[in-house]
Amino acid sequence: MARKNKGRQRIEMTRMSKESNLLVTFSKRRSGLFKKASELCTLCGAEIAIVVFSPGKKAFSFGHPSVGAIVDRFLSRTPPPPRGGSRASNRRDQPLPLPPPPPNPNSAVQLLEAHRNAAVRELSNQLTEAMNQLEAEKKRGEGINKMRRESKERCWWDGPIDGLGLGQLEQLKVAMEDLKRNVGKQAERVRVVEEEGLKVPTASFYAGGTSSFVGSGSGAGGVGVDGGGDVKVSDGLGLSMTPHGYALGYGCGFF
Amino acid sequence: MPRSKVKLAYISNDSARRTTFRKRESGLIKKAEEITTLCGVEACAILYSSYSPEPNVWPSPLDAQRVISRFRNMAPPEQNKKMADQQSFTRQRLEKTTEKVTKLGTENQHNEMTQVMYQCLSGRLGFECLSIGDLYYLSGLVSQNLRVIDRRLEFFQRHHSG
Repeated sequence: MARKNKGRQRIEMTRMSKESNLLVTFSKRRSGLFKKASELCTLCGAEIAIVVFSPGKKAFSFGHPSVGAIVDRFLSRTPPPPRGGSRASNRRDQPLPLPPPPPNPNSAVQLLEAHRNAAVRELSNQLTEAMNQLEAEKKRGEGINKMRRESKERCWWDGPIDGLGLGQLEQLKVAMEDLKRNVGKQAERVRVVEEEGLKVPTASFYAGGTSSFVGSGSGAGGVGVDGGGDVKVSDGLGLSMTPHGYALGYGCGFF
Repeated sequence: MPRSKVKLAYISNDSARRTTFRKRESGLIKKAEEITTLCGVEACAILYSSYSPEPNVWPSPLDAQRVISRFRNMAPPEQNKKMADQQSFTRQRLEKTTEKVTKLGTENQHNEMTQVMYQCLSGRLGFECLSIGDLYYLSGLVSQNLRVIDRRLEFFQRHHSG
């Protein structure tokens, strides 16, 4: 298979052949099944119980308001009449539909239920928020990875250290040491400025949030580089001496 | 796959809620069928809703009763060990999701700062835009890379002096 995983691929609906795959599949799908059930309860006010046995004979169950409540409610339905039973026993065509249990008049129980429902609502909101954050990070990641790929293609110094020749390695080392010194100097400058209560750069990658650097176009920060775009440096590399340029000396992709 | 974002809250619009219910109910049953087929296990689902006086029972009331009997015949600790309700399950999901957010956030930060490092090396980026936190991170990253470079240089030296 060319794909890393079988997700988004059609899989055949027959018992899995590999035991190891079967266990992993069970674990993932059980989780997904409960997730779907949970969402159905939250979104549509359904009351559900699911019981599923694992390949290892363990019992997994999910229920709202609880497994027990739903199961008991189901079991206390009038059982359907036996097939082909005598006319006498076939007094009803169908089992009598049992109405949902009436709201419990006990106010303590009501209060507890209301409390629990409020807790679930709060958790659901937090979950929604967390899922949005995850989406945002994923998008951010896509942008960053794209830039990394492009950078690795263009520049010999970007990439696995093991792939470099001796000469390149030594050159890179010098440039890195230089960079480290300059970063230290800048850090000192910023520290001094902060102490004197002056303005400090507000753009930050550190907080881990969406940053302007990735070229999202929003946010503060005087980043002079469009991450995805091409800064035309004719011979590729810092030979055009910007204040913090490091002459690595070789054209992009030369090696 | 472009998906419309779903907020996990009760759908107040009646027709939207009904439509969602129908779709998701059948989707849920389908998933239950798939897991039992693919993994050769037993399961049942009982769904009550305001749309029908009778519960929707899968696979069938009789089969569901059999599964429930098997379940109830287990010792109570065995029944309860892997039992969840909305609260516990949602809390679990929340934990897992925030864990993923943190992990991905760290990864993104690392990759982004690596990109910053290489851009600084080639003179494409100046320091003015970096906060003090970024500068510290960058410094650490450069040190880390220097260590790798030195190790690699050692390797070359060993090779050539041999």
